[in-house]
Amino acid sequence: MPNDSRGLAKAKQVYQERSRRARQLRAEGSRVIGYPCVYVPVEMLSALGLVPYRTYGDIREPVTEADRALPTSFCPFMRSCFDCALKAKDDFLDGMVVAHSCDPQEKTARLWESYVGYPYFHFMDVPGTVRPEAVEYFGGQLSDLKATLEAFTGQELTVERLRSAIQFHNEQRALVKELYELTKPAPPLVSGTEMLQVVKALMSLPVAEGNDLLKEVIGEVQGRTTGGPELKPVRLLVWSSTLDDVAIMEILESGANVVMDEGCGGMRAYRGEVKLTDEPMDGLARHYMDDITCARTFRQGADGETTKEYSQDLEKRFGYLKDVVEEWSINAAILLLVRYCDPFAFEVPSLRDYFDAVGIPSIYIEYDYAEGALAPLRTRVEAFFETIG
Amino acid sequence: MYPLRAKVNESYLKSVEAMRAGKPTVWAMLNWYYGDPILKAMDLEVVYPENYGAALAATGFAQPYLEYADADGFPTHLCGYSRATLGYTSKMMRELGGEIPAEAPLGGMPKPIFLMASSAVCDARYKWFQALGRYMDVPVWTLESPMPGVKELFLEGARERMVELGVRHLEHFVAFVERITGRKMDWDRLEETVDLMIEVNRVWHEVNELRKARPCPMHSRDFWSAMPAALFMMGDLRDSLRCFQDMYAEVKARVDNGVGAIADEKYRLVFAELPPWHSLGFFDRLAERGWNFVVESFGYRPPIPLDLSGVGNTLERITRFGLQTFVGYYEDARDEHVPAGALAYPYLKYAGEWKCDGALLHPLISCRSASTHLPYVASLLRERLKVPSLIMEGDIVDLRLFDPEDALARAEPFEESMQHYRGVRRQEGLDW
Amino acid sequence: MTKVLLTDVDGKVLSVVKGPTGPEHRRLANEVMQRALEQANLQLDLVSYVVATGYGRLNVPFADRRITELTCHARGVYSLFPHVKTAIDIGGQDAKCMKVSHGRVVNFAMNDKCAAGTGRFLEVIAVALGVKVEDMGDISLRSRKKVHVSNLCTVFARQEVVARLSEGEKLEDIVAGLHDAVASRVVGLARTLRIEPDVVLTGGVAKNNGIVRAMQEHLRCEVLVPEDPLITGALGAAILAKDLWQESVARGERAPTELRRLKKATFFT
Repeated sequence: MPNDSRGLAKAKQVYQERSRRARQLRAEGSRVIGYPCVYVPVEMLSALGLVPYRTYGDIREPVTEADRALPTSFCPFMRSCFDCALKAKDDFLDGMVVAHSCDPQEKTARLWESYVGYPYFHFMDVPGTVRPEAVEYFGGQLSDLKATLEAFTGQELTVERLRSAIQFHNEQRALVKELYELTKPAPPLVSGTEMLQVVKALMSLPVAEGNDLLKEVIGEVQGRTTGGPELKPVRLLVWSSTLDDVAIMEILESGANVVMDEGCGGMRAYRGEVKLTDEPMDGLARHYMDDITCARTFRQGADGETTKEYSQDLEKRFGYLKDVVEEWSINAAILLLVRYCDPFAFEVPSLRDYFDAVGIPSIYIEYDYAEGALAPLRTRVEAFFETIG
Repeated sequence: MYPLRAKVNESYLKSVEAMRAGKPTVWAMLNWYYGDPILKAMDLEVVYPENYGAALAATGFAQPYLEYADADGFPTHLCGYSRATLGYTSKMMRELGGEIPAEAPLGGMPKPIFLMASSAVCDARYKWFQALGRYMDVPVWTLESPMPGVKELFLEGARERMVELGVRHLEHFVAFVERITGRKMDWDRLEETVDLMIEVNRVWHEVNELRKARPCPMHSRDFWSAMPAALFMMGDLRDSLRCFQDMYAEVKARVDNGVGAIADEKYRLVFAELPPWHSLGFFDRLAERGWNFVVESFGYRPPIPLDLSGVGNTLERITRFGLQTFVGYYEDARDEHVPAGALAYPYLKYAGEWKCDGALLHPLISCRSASTHLPYVASLLRERLKVPSLIMEGDIVDLRLFDPEDALARAEPFEESMQHYRGVRRQEGLDW
Repeated sequence: MTKVLLTDVDGKVLSVVKGPTGPEHRRLANEVMQRALEQANLQLDLVSYVVATGYGRLNVPFADRRITELTCHARGVYSLFPHVKTAIDIGGQDAKCMKVSHGRVVNFAMNDKCAAGTGRFLEVIAVALGVKVEDMGDISLRSRKKVHVSNLCTVFARQEVVARLSEGEKLEDIVAGLHDAVASRVVGLARTLRIEPDVVLTGGVAKNNGIVRAMQEHLRCEVLVPEDPLITGALGAAILAKDLWQESVARGERAPTELRRLKKATFFT
């Protein structure tokens, strides 16, 4: 009988009641800080004893309140996040840190700050490129964040505390990578649905508790003889901004083994690591600008040089995916975006060119961030599997 | 005021000729004074695909290019201008080997030597140029445009770090432009260009301040007509400066003599955000009802002047001036607790200082960046200043979505609304 | 609409039944199936293999396999038009475009969210015009010009149409404009697939010759329409069912016909 308080069963439980632990900790005196984007350096929150909590929307919650301040033709994910905030579903948050990652987030941030009275709110700018002066500027943004966090907590974010937090979060990155190794076999030992539950659980727990959970999960999955996913002919890579509901993952897994989730509910927050240098803030800035593979950051093959070549540019932007395809024996890719997602949508033709060059079939599927979107999504996903079957 | 428009048109035609003659061309995004001075000082021809998109829409030539973009798999919700340009470039490069399509209006856009993108205001404005890499092996330079939080700007050192980013970034940009053109920057010429740019915008700002008078001496139509000379630095800046100075004198004289832009100013309006370029005559029809548009569009106005006399470094002057566009209102926004310090807060200032009775808001289906703030602006104006808003939808490329007849049909009930809110403002102790 | 099509192992169609669907489609599949069996004079246990397709495919408890309507349409159209490369289906609720190679879908695009560019667009506006949808094709034959109608939104279009009527525009010209609006929307959807002939149009809307003409104008090529454009999905499903059954027989497996029950869908199947 699986123990509900450990491993995959626990991850599932945490996923289903994501705010429970945060509420518990708050009742015990901790403070919880929400963040809607993986550009926010959670190490800084952990270093001050704050509980970082990744906020999401909810596809089952019809958007009603957000219309006060946001038009309908707008990122449905952010609309949902904002709607949930207006409905006080995040009333356990003591504050939020929001990043200028993309337009919808930047615009919603102002409304968040205006309409919801969080005790603490910080808006963090993120430069558009990864040029040296931009990364340095981003470091400056982190030091601004440090200042307001220190004022809020009344504590100093010392180098030692930050180092320690970085180590914990680096450990989490390493453990997630270790877990993703277990999707390499055929069939994978752990399903995309289970991975999604684990990742969302991690983003709802303090980092040390998340690491413990990961170790349990890895042990359980490694020792698995039954209960793992069935072998499917399609080994799928999903590329998205964020995929955050198991109902969507289940649709994908009706015809495929999802072995890599290239999104913010999957691998994106866990690539690379923070290099621990003398100045850990510099290491943080470098990591977030270099290792987060989000379409909103401008990278160019031969940047600043006077010539440019398309395949070289694609290699610079997407080259890491070629290794992923090879190592995970991926044979198909779905580019899955919510409507109105501009940074990712502009990438679609180029990324599909890249997948063509790498030799795997791909498809672009757009969906509404709503429960009613599931049936149309299923038809398209199944049709795609039928075309490559 | 019309001499300015004529000069802008003239310089556009000259530019088209120069490009036809093979002069190196740069495709640029609107960059709010940041990259343009560099290009101007290096004597490069500049084409703005955003403007060209509007021209395609107005001349009815956008649709075929949109279809190319569709066929190439670009999702259809993307910015209409970007899809039109992507389609245009796809045709030019893949079908015509780099030759400008014969049907392209106004001389088309020749293949550039580089693409100057900007991260200001909108993600599409650099992702789109990046996506052009599919058709042209032309380097993209993305100008950084910082967008800090309102209260965060006032943290110790924050503003200076922004300036530091801007200056170093421009240094690298200048070096890049030198490399790619094989020319050296004439720093004296740059300094002169920047000084003129700042002064032109300062005079232009003063002209717009004069529009606070009652009746308002200058109408929106003239604003739109003159704006490109200041924002896009089109034409010879010395000529432009003279024109703006003449304009100031003319408008001042009107103020002194109580002459309004329209016959009978019954209502004073603020407009946001992108105007229906192809239907500016619509404002004339509203003028017949006594609607005087006295202030408009944050994105197109000159920045609030600031004292740069102590700043010797030209690149730093450019940076501070460019940043002023976005953060110029932040202090007031902070004091009045409006976190949306750019794009939204300024409308409180406009409606309050220009004493507006109503706002006309024009959201566009395929330009979210110019539309997202509008519901919030409507809320702010109503809640804080008791100023009502009229929303009229349109689009940047599907121009048929804007229905002037329908809009005019709503003018009368909106007039009643504006009158009602006059009473409400009186009760609240507001003085207009 | 719910459709059932029975064929024999040589592909001969034994019966075809079409019934309106409505909110209770979950329960309906068995009734329509019953009628199809009666028409073919068969019992359920003689049916070797059942493939269900379409939105309700998850609600057919007696199906052996569920396959998307895209794959089924492509297969059905291919059996009628062996040179088909582009298949377009405009139904009451949605529009589907498929790139077809030897009967298999290689690429597709769908609109199932927006009424514009589907049969619903014509139905809604037909009411406003006071005409029957099935007469619209013939009405548009008389037209000399097309009145422009927005293709972006059914609600806008309806308002526009009412306005144009009151301005004195002729009914047939407005209907031609409506056809043009639908065609432009659907062709826009298909463009991502790089349209190649033979182009085949199916779905209820394909019975409207005005739509067919408008599509041909936009595509600048001939558009082929089957005799019964409503059943290509069911036809393709039947053909695929036959293929699957033959494969299973070749593998020495027994298809589970005796376990099949013609019962209503419940929440617990």
